[in-house]
Amino acid sequence: MTTANNDHRPAVASSAQQAEAGTVPPASARGALSRVSARWRPDSLDIGIAVVVLAVIVAGILTTRFFSLANARAILASSAWVGITAIGATGVMIAGSVVSLAVAQTATVAAMIFLSTQQFGLPAAIAGALASGMAITALQGAVIGFWKANPIVLTIAAGFAIDGVAIWISGGSTVYPKVTAFNGLNDTPLGLPLAVYVLLGVTVLTQWFLRRTTAGRQMYLMGENPAAARAAGLPVARVTVIAWTFFGACIAVTGIFLAAFNTGANSALGGTLSLDAIAAVLVGGTAIGGGKGSALRTLGGAVLISAISDLLLLRGFSTGIQLLVKGILVLLVVIAVHVRSARGRR
Amino acid sequence: MSDATSALVSDPARPQVSVEGLSRSFGGTPAVRDVSFAVGTGEIHGLCGHNGAGKSTVVKMLSGQLTPDSGQIIIDGRPVQLGSRQAAQRLGVALVDQELSVIPALTVLDNLLLGDVSVPLVNRPRAAAARCRQVLSDMGLDRLRPQQPLSELSIGERQLVEVARALSQNARLVILDEPTATLSDAETEHVFAAIRRVAAQGCSVIFVSHRLSEVLDLCDTVTVLRDGRRVATTASAELTVNDLIVQMLGEAPHRLVATRPADSRPGHELRIEHLRVPGRLADFSLTAQAGRVYALAGQLGSGASDVLRALAGLHPQATGAVRLRDRAVPFRSPLGAASAGVAFVSNDRKSEGLFMDKPVATNLTATRLPSLGRGGLLSSRRERQAARSLAELAGIPDHRLADPAAALSGGNQQKVFVGRCLGRDDVWALLLDEPTRGVDIGGRAAIHRLLRAAADAGLVVIFSSTELEELLELGDVIITMREARIVARYEDSVDGALLMRDMTHGAHAA
Repeated sequence: MTTANNDHRPAVASSAQQAEAGTVPPASARGALSRVSARWRPDSLDIGIAVVVLAVIVAGILTTRFFSLANARAILASSAWVGITAIGATGVMIAGSVVSLAVAQTATVAAMIFLSTQQFGLPAAIAGALASGMAITALQGAVIGFWKANPIVLTIAAGFAIDGVAIWISGGSTVYPKVTAFNGLNDTPLGLPLAVYVLLGVTVLTQWFLRRTTAGRQMYLMGENPAAARAAGLPVARVTVIAWTFFGACIAVTGIFLAAFNTGANSALGGTLSLDAIAAVLVGGTAIGGGKGSALRTLGGAVLISAISDLLLLRGFSTGIQLLVKGILVLLVVIAVHVRSARGRR
Repeated sequence: MSDATSALVSDPARPQVSVEGLSRSFGGTPAVRDVSFAVGTGEIHGLCGHNGAGKSTVVKMLSGQLTPDSGQIIIDGRPVQLGSRQAAQRLGVALVDQELSVIPALTVLDNLLLGDVSVPLVNRPRAAAARCRQVLSDMGLDRLRPQQPLSELSIGERQLVEVARALSQNARLVILDEPTATLSDAETEHVFAAIRRVAAQGCSVIFVSHRLSEVLDLCDTVTVLRDGRRVATTASAELTVNDLIVQMLGEAPHRLVATRPADSRPGHELRIEHLRVPGRLADFSLTAQAGRVYALAGQLGSGASDVLRALAGLHPQATGAVRLRDRAVPFRSPLGAASAGVAFVSNDRKSEGLFMDKPVATNLTATRLPSLGRGGLLSSRRERQAARSLAELAGIPDHRLADPAAALSGGNQQKVFVGRCLGRDDVWALLLDEPTRGVDIGGRAAIHRLLRAAADAGLVVIFSSTELEELLELGDVIITMREARIVARYEDSVDGALLMRDMTHGAHAA
């Protein structure tokens, strides 16, 4: 990592800490990573996340079976599907396109295509699902990048359109595969679902892309100050399309795993994926306004949400309470991020 | 508007608004020092001064946006405290700001009522619309409908709506800060007629403008400020434009022949032919040689800044032909202009320049990323090297490279902004809009050295400015502009008074 890192702190940043900054996971892991300089001062977001993580740890100690290998596996497994999509959403959010509200629909379409092309073999089915997911989001990205459409409005419209086409083509019934080539996708090597490995791989790849490529850097720049990026002649529209296309690939991967797990796909398959993915990105501390964040943060966000849900489940709280806590968590992080950026601007 | 209460008899001898010993400093630097003047009932009072003379600060204090450090504002014989713009409005002070403060998404009617503290809580739409039509027709805007959204109007018409709003508030004092900068002659006439009408009804008017002939034409009395102090208050009947310029400048800065020969290499020039921007720039042609610094001298609305913005691709509706190094510059988009070798430094480094939360190093390398790696991958080593050498070139200490740009002083931020465009082998023309706005003296000199070095390295350098010293110091060729057109071109001896005359009321070149 270089001094020209894109994560942000108050003016106290030293180069050693700058090098750290891109890779800040939840606070519990920070000690292990520590090359933190004496000048390090935590900001409101770090404190907020540290408090939440500590609370989870304390509650976890008081909860039987929370700190067990089996439960750790369960947490990771349950974060994988949402996590993969959330990693893709991270790039889009950093590049300033806010969010997509058409994620669940896109995942459903990718899943349907994956299942209906099983007879051509697993690689062909995966390729078809990826291509469809990428095409759908690349188109949205192009409209946002070249014609400056509002992402929220556009993706609400796109969500209905995609849903409509999916129901129209499938006739409203559940799509079942003629043959099942996908059984391998439900394997659990070393006791963890394949999706977990894919999640980790996608995280590392995205982190590398954001930090080490021209397009990745440009995403941070245009997310922070779109007018400046435009005036400087950066390829804003092209990079927007790149971010959205990658997002589509991630959504399609989630769709593939959903399809393989459910062995069938109807229009409800995507469920609450759109908002779950946004929640994971936000809880990780990526700024909804763009310009700040990282894939590792999003991974942390996804795992943290899973851990909290798991904890509440173990303690016998209802699904309603789990959702409520998730909502409060998102709210707290958004406030912390806001406080941080308001202070940074002074 | 038939308002009996405001139909006072005009009496310039009776002061309605006066300021006494007004002073205000910013961070230890005095902006206004012991300024006093009085505006009589029904008087139109001009306020003139060169940039930095303190006009805006006086206006802000009178309109409640700034509190004076010392001194008094007296309205109708009573000293008043104007804590906010609303408070000032309640005391009868209406302001037309330099910046448009009308809202494009609202209708003409809504905009006219905007911020008017006398609007009743429950609106009576029919009465309001009737009054609105009257106000519009007074301003020569009969063609507009009250329910028309403002976004359908031209910039000039929006400015007229803004003026109409201030004049229709039955204020005791109306302050107009550069209200005509973006208006055509016909529109200006309407504004003047409306101002004379409210003055005849007993309203006092303060008119701030760079257009000196307009000031003499419209105002009864003119107060000139220089370096924060009042130089003179004179009845305009006794003044000429030249008198005003002498009052504004004191000793006019002068430049002797000091131009540099053009780069003899043919084919390296920037050739601009018939550049036009609807409503902003009438017709601009210039062949700018590599190795020389071209200065565009023009006030707000003169088109000087629009030349640069159009070349940088920020006026997509611009027309004309532009060639750099014998290649056409596709100036319909910033991306096209940049790829043809044009680098642009905006006059607003905050919103259109730097990435303030990003480290200085990232800002320095932001526009040259493709050259710092291969196949879209960044090389950290080369990026670090590039950032270091640019920081050295721009005069930014190494240890600040990791700090966010927001932590730098204005001068250093501007150095980063300019430095970002330097040392690139794919940039051939450097365009800078007000390159030293908000920069301290030391930073100014450093930026001037950078621009000179860039020209010496074979770049075409064009900048726009309103500061005479800067124009005279840095420009090899000075082109004066007014009302969207070129007034004159100077390559040798010229003085500040001449430039000022061109910028404020010069005749257009044929």
